[in-house]
Amino acid sequence: MLYIHKTYCISAQQDLLQANIELINEAVDKKLLAIEPSYEKIPPGILRRMGKSIRMGVGAALPLISETDNIDGIIMGSANAGMDDCVKFLNQMVQYEEGQLTPGSFVQSTGNVIAGQLGLITKNKGYNITHIHLGLAFENALLDAMMQLNTNQSNTYLVGGVDEISPFHYNIETLAGSYKKEDISNKYLYETDSPGCVVGEGAAMFVVNAEAASSIAKVAAISTIHSTDIELLKQQLNLFLQKNIPAGENVDLFLSGENGDNRTLPYYTACETLLADDTAVVRYKHMVGDYATVSAPGLWYACEFLQQPVPEHMFKKKTSKTEYRNILLYNNFKGLQHSFILVSNL
Amino acid sequence: METAELKLQVKKQIIEFLNLISVKPEDIKDDEPLFGEGLGLDSIDSIELIVLLGREYGIDIKDPKEGRKVLADINTMVAYIEQHRTK
Repeated sequence: MLYIHKTYCISAQQDLLQANIELINEAVDKKLLAIEPSYEKIPPGILRRMGKSIRMGVGAALPLISETDNIDGIIMGSANAGMDDCVKFLNQMVQYEEGQLTPGSFVQSTGNVIAGQLGLITKNKGYNITHIHLGLAFENALLDAMMQLNTNQSNTYLVGGVDEISPFHYNIETLAGSYKKEDISNKYLYETDSPGCVVGEGAAMFVVNAEAASSIAKVAAISTIHSTDIELLKQQLNLFLQKNIPAGENVDLFLSGENGDNRTLPYYTACETLLADDTAVVRYKHMVGDYATVSAPGLWYACEFLQQPVPEHMFKKKTSKTEYRNILLYNNFKGLQHSFILVSNL
Repeated sequence: METAELKLQVKKQIIEFLNLISVKPEDIKDDEPLFGEGLGLDSIDSIELIVLLGREYGIDIKDPKEGRKVLADINTMVAYIEQHRTK
């Protein structure tokens, strides 16, 4: 069992729980860009060499690490990590005909750069790994932490998900038709009936261990599948619920990864049909946008909704319940990678 | 190009190459050490500056000892550029 003790999230919103939808930050050029903090805990000499994903990842992790007595391992999920620096370095190779190349972009260009930098800055020599399985990168990081805690029950881990909107990645995904062509406000994301999502970026970090005492949430179960078959997805969800929801209980809140893309909407509605009538449905991607590791801010929201009210504009379906015990987080990346995360209070 | 003009250009290039976001050209004194104290640059920055000299001025520094002298401060960098630049 995995218990979450501390959380930190950098996203496109200063206030992720902003109650008034008119006050939320809107997408600029169809991008929900992260609002970065001042990063006071990152040494200036290191900060100036960091790309945005590294700044966000390290910047979100350091406050948690400094508040925690001992972190035994760092487990990250990132689909692209230092991709932007990687592309800069490759472009330099072409531009300068493989001649004199600067080391800055090279040392920041690898997939494991965020976990690596955190290990170096905090002198943490423990387990240090990065999962890079696109839309399941964060879920696999979380799963890894659960497996680590099964064998090392006294350990504490930092788990996180980070991705940025790099120019290279944005252009590729635009050509692939991943984003909305029309210029719409994220405030009205779910009213559109068109393909594509509004892209986002951010970092969410969690301090986790196997101790229930003083924790804020429990990750009771995770399940992932690769499929485009809606019937298979429904079977998987049924099995997941039968196996993990205690007798006499049901899912109180379905935290949906619905993203305004009419191509993936059927997967979300199919899941909703399997839930009880008194299950509330809540959406969050109009706040943070969509990206490969968006389940990380999704998990941050789940932790918050166990403790405080859900802003009205986030409800797709409201029920009489005002407190939630079992929250099911479902995300779907490009209609292919699906994840269910069951988050419960203690 | 006048020496003063070249100094300003080199300072701007250092800021751009090393991504010294909060530093302005006037913050970099001509005789202030670039490494350690002063601007506080490190060994990775020294490689970046050697690449800068190669790309912008056609100067190829191969001897690390020579590099250390050349990159001591703005005065030494600019004097070396004026003597050895090929572009």
